[in-house]
Amino acid sequence: MKVKVKSWHAVAHWRWDTGAPEQDDPDGEGDVCGICRVPYEGCCPSCKMPGDDCPLIWGECTHVFHMHCLLKWIGTPASKQQCPMDRRTWVTAERKVGGAAPS
Amino acid sequence: MDARLRRVNKEIADCKNDKTSNIQIELIDENPFHLKGSFPGPEGTPYQGGHFEVDIVIPESYPFQPVKMKFLTKVYHPNVSSASGAICLDILKDAWSPVLTLKSTLISLQSLLCSPEPNDPQDAEVAKHYTTSKNSFDETATYWTQIYAGGPGAKEKKGKSAASKAEARDEVAIAGLEKAHVDQFEALGFPRSKVIDVLRRLNYRGANVAKLTDDRVVEELLK
Repeated sequence: MKVKVKSWHAVAHWRWDTGAPEQDDPDGEGDVCGICRVPYEGCCPSCKMPGDDCPLIWGECTHVFHMHCLLKWIGTPASKQQCPMDRRTWVTAERKVGGAAPS
Repeated sequence: MDARLRRVNKEIADCKNDKTSNIQIELIDENPFHLKGSFPGPEGTPYQGGHFEVDIVIPESYPFQPVKMKFLTKVYHPNVSSASGAICLDILKDAWSPVLTLKSTLISLQSLLCSPEPNDPQDAEVAKHYTTSKNSFDETATYWTQIYAGGPGAKEKKGKSAASKAEARDEVAIAGLEKAHVDQFEALGFPRSKVIDVLRRLNYRGANVAKLTDDRVVEELLK
């Protein structure tokens, strides 16, 4: 039998390399940003499209958030410039420079 | 959809799916930003057996601003206003973090019931009662749980009828005072409600009773 391919659709899957192991995913959502509760692979509430325009940010404390969410929090006086998870002074870790390439 | 609404809807759903925490969040009406939370009183405390309801208001800039919570159920606790239900808890104020959720905040309230902080009171009179006489405080808190939070009461255990359960609440026990003390000053001709008011305000309990002279009490009663 001869098959003629008339058209095809490529499907790709991506995920930010958060350094976390691929866990089994009980709610099928993956890890979420602790601030907006949207998956890392989604985007922060102010963006429309996920991807490089709405990257993640890493703290030296190893906590990860959508960059826009974290910056919004750090911009509020109530944050006292602290990481929302551990209340240590937020220091952005090296690896965010340039963003972790989607893998 | 608005980010705040999306997060709140998710939180309500997460709480529904969690069968282990005993925390409930429900809508009051159509408004998704005004909710009612509830949880059982922690075991091994005077609040055990009670069901505590909390009014929840989600501010415009949530989760960047703390959620507003106050007790709807009357609670006798140093960090809860006995009159308004207002709560003194750091995470509801300057220690708020956007990673906290409605559920985790309600769990914090539940644990506040386990560990009162009388040195940072919301209700100074209740805090004084707590520090002066822990036993008497526990009795009063247990009584409040019984009459306001539907906690187990001696009366119900005896299986009395509904009519007798509705009998007048014991104002002396609500104020955390001793009947003998109230009787003593009422016998001087002061109205009972005024005596209760003054003795509560003066923290006429435990070791404090010996420190307060009758003259001092009468002086307050005459004011």
